[in-house]
Amino acid sequence: MPNQEKEKPAATVTATEAVAPPPPSPPPPKPAPASEDSGTQYFFGEPLVGFDPSEITGSLIVIEGMDGSGRSTQIMLLQEWLESEGFAVQTSGLRRSNLVGRDIDELLAKNAVTRLTLALMYATDFFDQVEHRILPALRSGTMVLADRYIFTLIGRGVVRGINRDYMSGLYAMALRPHLTFWLNVRPETAFGREFRKAQAISYWEAGRDMSLSHDLYWSFIRYQTMIKREFEVMAKKHNFIELDGEASVPAVNKLLRQRIAEQLGIRSTKYTPSSALSHLWR
Amino acid sequence: METQDVAQKPARTEPAKSTLPQPGRPVPSRAYPGALIVVEGTDGSGKSTQLYLLKRWLEIGGYRLHFTEWNSSPLVKSATRRGKQRRLLTPTTFSLLHAADFADRCERQIMPLLQGDYLVLADRYVYTAFARDTARGCPPHWLRNLYRFAPVPDITFYFRAPLDVAVNRILSGRPKLKYYEAGMDLGLSYDRAESFRLFQARILEEYDKMVDSDSFVVLDGTMPVNKLQKQMREIVASKIDLKRFAPRAEEGE
Repeated sequence: MPNQEKEKPAATVTATEAVAPPPPSPPPPKPAPASEDSGTQYFFGEPLVGFDPSEITGSLIVIEGMDGSGRSTQIMLLQEWLESEGFAVQTSGLRRSNLVGRDIDELLAKNAVTRLTLALMYATDFFDQVEHRILPALRSGTMVLADRYIFTLIGRGVVRGINRDYMSGLYAMALRPHLTFWLNVRPETAFGREFRKAQAISYWEAGRDMSLSHDLYWSFIRYQTMIKREFEVMAKKHNFIELDGEASVPAVNKLLRQRIAEQLGIRSTKYTPSSALSHLWR
Repeated sequence: METQDVAQKPARTEPAKSTLPQPGRPVPSRAYPGALIVVEGTDGSGKSTQLYLLKRWLEIGGYRLHFTEWNSSPLVKSATRRGKQRRLLTPTTFSLLHAADFADRCERQIMPLLQGDYLVLADRYVYTAFARDTARGCPPHWLRNLYRFAPVPDITFYFRAPLDVAVNRILSGRPKLKYYEAGMDLGLSYDRAESFRLFQARILEEYDKMVDSDSFVVLDGTMPVNKLQKQMREIVASKIDLKRFAPRAEEGE
């Protein structure tokens, strides 16, 4: 049970919050969790079974955005930057759990799964990562960079007609992130970026299961527009920090670094990618 | 516990008030013509034997029916096996994986068959999850939400057997209890048999709490098999218009 007196409920992190920069020592500065009422400032609804949130010393930073919004690129760059600043970093993302990550890949490949089952498999994947990857990291003072989070999963369920309260109830025991960034791009831009990656658009990216259009392009645009609307709803409710995902990689990265530096008490936001990552810097 | 009287259960044609609405739909007062019969109870309560005999009775009579078991969707099988072998499962993921399994059966078998005017028999249903996962520490209303999409049964038989009877039936017939089956993940005891007993006691307690709220028909699991079956058949015949599921001689309804 949380009963400590730090500085601010994690969820209400706002643009105006200024963190007094503590001396940059190896044990990372306290993120932001705390205040006295129950688990809900750590969790969306209720505490995860058997977990004591007061042990958290790391920060959970979420990057959300549709396919082609540049999330993965930004996360690679942020990880390098944070490591160069001396922070340990763990990443998480969809379908990366040991428990069911591969099973979901198979279900998607076979395309033989109904919407609710898929939503619940994703929830299983999510909580397995929370319990075996994210929480252990946060307990040891590690920064967690999440490539997508519950918001994508909720949005996907809702656009497929699953009740919104049902979806958010499902994730009531998810940890509230310290920061949630939303890389907002137009579906048209995302389409081009995604197409260039693989010279194709996948069945699921285009929401083909929803029978929106036989034309792949329009199916993608309609599907991603529906998802985007869900994000707009959630952005207000959950204090997303919205960034223009159409800006250049260095420009978006700079904004991300500024907010994260503020959160973690890092003084300098200077960063130039190493040669290994310089190809991303365009 | 003695058999509960059944006379005043609503007939199946009255829309039963659903506490478990389907996601995405305004919710239904039972928008399907089929009927759903469920058996619940702790391990060793005799429920599977009784449901099997009920199924034989109906099969022999030629009724249209489908039988479904808890935790049996092929879709989720490999994940469940892996989770158990490597002991990756926590109360939350254990619960979610079972919900995914159930959702798959619900969306692909149970709902379509109920829509198609079948009698569906289920060996364990969402109440198993409510009892077991609550015993593992999951928040009850989170669980209720999780299974909101499940159609409400027409009859839920709860086979109640005293803890010792049920536990002994299992322990005498099984060489070794499995880790999760024995509730070892709860850390109640290092001894598997003892852990199993403590876990089952919690589950029994959770089942008992649902008797009224979920309109269980309580049956005494210690009665002789044939007598119990007779009771069960009478209750089914009185609550469900079985003619509807009889062989389609004159076709149509």
